[in-house]
Amino acid sequence: MMKKFLLSGVAGLAMSVAAIAQDLPQSENTWFQAGQATIAARLALQPNTSKAKNVILFTADGNGVGTNYAIRLFEGQQLGGLGDDHIQPHEAFPNAAMVKTYSTNGQTPDSAPTASAMNSGVKTKNDLINIPDSVAVGDCAAGVTTNLKLFSEIASEMGKSVGVVSTARVTHATPAAVYARSVNRDWEDNTSIPEGCTQKDIASQLIDMMASGVIDVAMGGGRAHFLPETVTDIEGKSGKRTDGRNLIDEAKALGAQVVESHVDFTALTLGNNASILGLFEPSHMKYEFDRSGEPSLAQMTEASIESLSTNESGFFLAIEAGRVDHALHGGNLHRVMVDGVAFNDAIRKAIEMTNPEETLIIVTADHEHAIAFNGYCGRGSAITGLCMEINEAGVEHTGTAETAADGKTYTVAGFLNGAGSVLVEQADKTFSGMRPDLTNEQAIDPDYLQQALIPMGSETHSGEDVMVFAQGPWAHLFGGTIEQNVIFHVMNHAVNPK
Amino acid sequence: MFRRTLLAALPAIVLSRSLPARAAEDAPVKLRDLYNKDLSFSDLALTNQGIRTTIAGFMASPLKAESVFFVLTKMPMAVCPFCEPGMPWPDDILAVYAKRVNDVIPFNVPILVTGVLELGDAVDPELGFYSKVRLTDATFARA
Repeated sequence: MMKKFLLSGVAGLAMSVAAIAQDLPQSENTWFQAGQATIAARLALQPNTSKAKNVILFTADGNGVGTNYAIRLFEGQQLGGLGDDHIQPHEAFPNAAMVKTYSTNGQTPDSAPTASAMNSGVKTKNDLINIPDSVAVGDCAAGVTTNLKLFSEIASEMGKSVGVVSTARVTHATPAAVYARSVNRDWEDNTSIPEGCTQKDIASQLIDMMASGVIDVAMGGGRAHFLPETVTDIEGKSGKRTDGRNLIDEAKALGAQVVESHVDFTALTLGNNASILGLFEPSHMKYEFDRSGEPSLAQMTEASIESLSTNESGFFLAIEAGRVDHALHGGNLHRVMVDGVAFNDAIRKAIEMTNPEETLIIVTADHEHAIAFNGYCGRGSAITGLCMEINEAGVEHTGTAETAADGKTYTVAGFLNGAGSVLVEQADKTFSGMRPDLTNEQAIDPDYLQQALIPMGSETHSGEDVMVFAQGPWAHLFGGTIEQNVIFHVMNHAVNPK
Repeated sequence: MFRRTLLAALPAIVLSRSLPARAAEDAPVKLRDLYNKDLSFSDLALTNQGIRTTIAGFMASPLKAESVFFVLTKMPMAVCPFCEPGMPWPDDILAVYAKRVNDVIPFNVPILVTGVLELGDAVDPELGFYSKVRLTDATFARA
C-alpha cells in the first residue's frame, strides 16, 4: 500500500515537472529556447574515441580569458553585430577547460615554460625551453645532459609529418618549444651562447630537426638568426650570426624549399615531400593590421596543412598567433584585436581543410596579460572605444559616454600597467598625471594606447587562467580546470590511445 | 616685371597640382601619414620633402645620451623584455637630427618635432643608424 503510494507520488512528481517545463511563462522567449537547444545538443554529443591521425595545436600568445573576450566582441562588431553574442570558431567546439599557466618559479609565467608544458608534458621554470626545472636558467652544463622528449619527436617516430608556424620569429619561445631545448630562451642564434657552452642555439637546432626529418615545415619570422652578419637578406638587413654559418644555405642543401617573401610563398610547390622553411622577416612578422608583402597566418596555415596532409600517417602542426602578445605589451588594443581576428581566420581555415573525425584541433593560449574591463557599458559599446551608457528602454547603448568621478570619459578596456599609464614621468623624474579628455574617435584610432595605471615600459603578462578549446578525437579529455602540461597528455593519448 | 609676376605665380602653380596641400602650421602631420601601407612614401611625404614640417610622434629612448639624434615613433615604443635583446626598430620611424641637445622627453609623452623633411635611404656615419626619413635642423617640444 505504502509502496504504491510512493511510486505514484514519484510518477506524479515527474509528470508535474514535465508539465511545469512546458507551462513556464518564459517558454516562448528566444533565450529560453536557445538554452534548451544547447542542452539538446550537448545530450546528443558522442565522444570520439578513435585514434587521432592529425593534431593541430593553435596558440594565440597572450590570449587569456579577457583578451579572448575582447576579440570576440571586436570580431562580432566588425561583422555588424553588437559583439557579445558572437561565436568565435573555437567557441563552437564542444570541449573546453580552464588552464592554470603558472610555471614552477613564476606565479606569472612567460612563453617559454608555458609552451614547454604543452610540448613536453611537464612544467618548468620561466625562460627555460624544454629543460626540466631542476636546472637553473643559463646553466649550460646541466642543460645538455637532460633530455625531455618532445611531442614533435613522438609524432615523427609514429611516421607523422610535423610543422611549426608563427607570426613571431620562428626561433621565439613558443615555436621554438616545438623543436628545441634551451637553458635560455634568448639563445636564438650563436651570439648569446656563453664561451665554452656546448648547447646549440635555437636556429641551428631547427636546421638539425629538419635534417633529421622531425620538422617538415617551419614558417615565421626571424631570418636574421639564420644568416651571418656578413650577409644581407632580401630586405637589405644583415644577419646576426657570428659563427660564419648560413643556415638558409644549409636548409637549401638539405633539399628544403626556402621562401622569404609573399612572392616566393605563392610560388611554393606543396605536397611534393620537400620540406619548407619560410622566413618572412629579419625579426617578427608584421602585425596583421600593418601586413604587406608577407603571408597571413591563415595563408601559412593553409600551405602547411596542404603540405603536411600528403603524409598518409598524418601530421602534428603547431600554429602560433605570436603577436597578440606583442600588441598587448605595447598597450595597443586595436592591433591585439586585428591579430586575434587573423588567428580566428587561421582556425577557420584548418577546420575547413581537415576531417573532424580524425583531426584533433586544440585552441589555447600560453598566458594572459594585464588587461582589464570597465563597466557599466551598454550593448554595442565599441570594445576598443568608450564605455557608453546602458539604454534602459532598449538594447543598444544611448550614444552618451559614461564619465568617471573626474568627469571624464573612459574606455571599455584598459590595462593595469604599461606604456599607456596616465602617470607620466615629469621633468623632475617624479611620476604624475591626469586623465585626458577622450572622444570615441580618438579611442578607436588604431594607434591609440588604452589608459593604464602603473607606469611601465612594457605591459606585463599575468598569471590569470587561459582557456583550452578542442574538437575531434579525445577532445572530451579536456574538462574542468587543468594544469597546462595536461595539454601534452591529451595530444599524446589521442595519437596513441591505449 | 615679368619675372616678378612669374615668381608670384609659382606658389599658385604648385598648389594647383593634385598632390595634397602642405601641412599647415597648426595641423601637424602624423608620422604614420608619411608612409603608405607598403612603406613607400605617401603623397603627403613627397609634397613636404625639403620643407620645414611639423610631425607629431613620440621620442623613443635615446640611442646615445647627450646626442642631438633621436628616433621618432608613431606610438610609444614599448620595450618588451621578451621581444628581443636589442629591440629592432619598427620600419615606419623617423630619424631626428635636432639643432641642439635637449632634455630627453619620456617615450610615452606626445611631442611635436619641426625640421626639414628628408626622404631617402641614409646611414648615419657616426651611429651606423639606417633611416628612410629624417627631420634635420629640428626643434621639438611636448605636444
